[in-house]
Amino acid sequence: MNTFNSGRRDFIKELGAMGGGSLLLSAFPWLQACTGEVKKETTGEKARIAVIGTGSRGQYHLANLTKNPKADVVALCDNYASHLEAASAYFPKAKRYSDYRDVLGSKEVDGVIITTPLHEHAHITIEAFAAGKHVFCEKSLARTLDDCLAMYRAYQQSDRVFFVGQQRLFDPKYIRAMEMIREGVIGDIVGFRTYWFRNNDWRRPVPEPGLERKINWRLYKEYSAGMMTELATHQLQVGNWALQMIPEKVMGFGDIVYWKDGREVYDNISLIYRYANGVKMTYESIISNKFYGLEEQILGHKGTMEPEKGRYYFEEAQPAPGILQMINRIEHGIFDNVAFAGPSWVPETAAENKGNLIVDQVTTHDGSSSTGAAGDGSEELMDAYLSAVITGKRIPVLVEEAYYSSTLALLGEQAMDEQRVITYPEEYKISYLNFKAPDSDTTPDPVV
Amino acid sequence: MKDIIITVKQQKREIKIWLIALLVAFLLNVCAIWVYDTEWSELWTQGVWVLILSFLIYVLLWVPRLICWTLTLRRHK
Repeated sequence: MNTFNSGRRDFIKELGAMGGGSLLLSAFPWLQACTGEVKKETTGEKARIAVIGTGSRGQYHLANLTKNPKADVVALCDNYASHLEAASAYFPKAKRYSDYRDVLGSKEVDGVIITTPLHEHAHITIEAFAAGKHVFCEKSLARTLDDCLAMYRAYQQSDRVFFVGQQRLFDPKYIRAMEMIREGVIGDIVGFRTYWFRNNDWRRPVPEPGLERKINWRLYKEYSAGMMTELATHQLQVGNWALQMIPEKVMGFGDIVYWKDGREVYDNISLIYRYANGVKMTYESIISNKFYGLEEQILGHKGTMEPEKGRYYFEEAQPAPGILQMINRIEHGIFDNVAFAGPSWVPETAAENKGNLIVDQVTTHDGSSSTGAAGDGSEELMDAYLSAVITGKRIPVLVEEAYYSSTLALLGEQAMDEQRVITYPEEYKISYLNFKAPDSDTTPDPVV
Repeated sequence: MKDIIITVKQQKREIKIWLIALLVAFLLNVCAIWVYDTEWSELWTQGVWVLILSFLIYVLLWVPRLICWTLTLRRHK
């Protein structure tokens, strides 16, 4: 069986050595873009890429692309000159555009990377497919459920590659964690506790007041669902991935508790998603306290997985070594009856449950960066996209995972806005896992 | 003040006593694994504790040895 249990470098190396038929690939089929065969096919080749939207996240990807020999960034596009100028520093020879339609009309571009504000994702993606371009779009998919579905339909009708920025799907510690869950290491999954806590106002500096909504688009409901579309999408995807189900209902509350600065999106969120088997996934996000950072705690009846920290814990802590237990017992036998005996001289034998590492070398981050963290799977995801642009091979599952994490985030927002329980609407279901599209005769995909 | 001379014979005797202490500590570890039903890999993973225990036993053995030595000295007087 092809599994791995090492660090990030080894993971990439092992994937490169993997053939198309391994068990790892059948469980995680999107990794087909990283196999040895693909590596061989793409060696020495270049993907001609345009980056549309060169703000902080766009520049994060550009910085990674400078290190990738498969990347040939031929065009940069932004309607905000300051960002475009900054992005040009990474690829000075790339042509600069202020209108994405000119990029889509260029024959020099094979694929686009869309890192614009959320409300722009849908129409640019749909137009890019129509123009015959491969697309990498940052998560979330779109601002509305209709736009998410339209993007998915456009992808289905095209023969182009579509990647979405759900980088946890490419993060070695998450992949190994999911492998272990399927091996039954933590038993049956009985719940999820997911959270993302930060302590900052989430604002970017604005050079003049007229640019407030353009730069701080994340804070306004017209452009973003705030923490739901920018943070929760990652964590909702992890829950679905682990349980291999999509939740059917959601309820919760959202408020502006601390940052009362004119923003429209909540700064304090608490939601419960319910799966058909009764398992619940809670999601909490507060941006005025960062003590607990971020995590997706996957609770099993035998143990708990914390993939963000790269650790798992068994319900029963490992007992102390026998010799220490014996020394402890002897010591207690002698000194417990001595009135003047001081603190124990033997080591503490009450074992603290520090857990075990999911992979040998774990890269973690505290979730405070709002542009992206090192070693979180983003580089692997981008590398897979470049390979897919070169080979033209579409990757299964990835888009469906992104579709459901995006729509669930939007339904969470709706539940908070309307303060009621929202059931996943039939008309927005696509055939994947336990859900079936209303117009589909096919049974949902089998659990992978 | 005068030099204390530890003869080779005495050194060998002390090493033998410590080796016996080490054997006892090792056997105690075996017993502990057996009694507390822990992993047999502790035979080597807990080597440091076995070593520490052997020194402790060696030091504790000085108590009966000193008593014996004192009694022997008195008998010879």
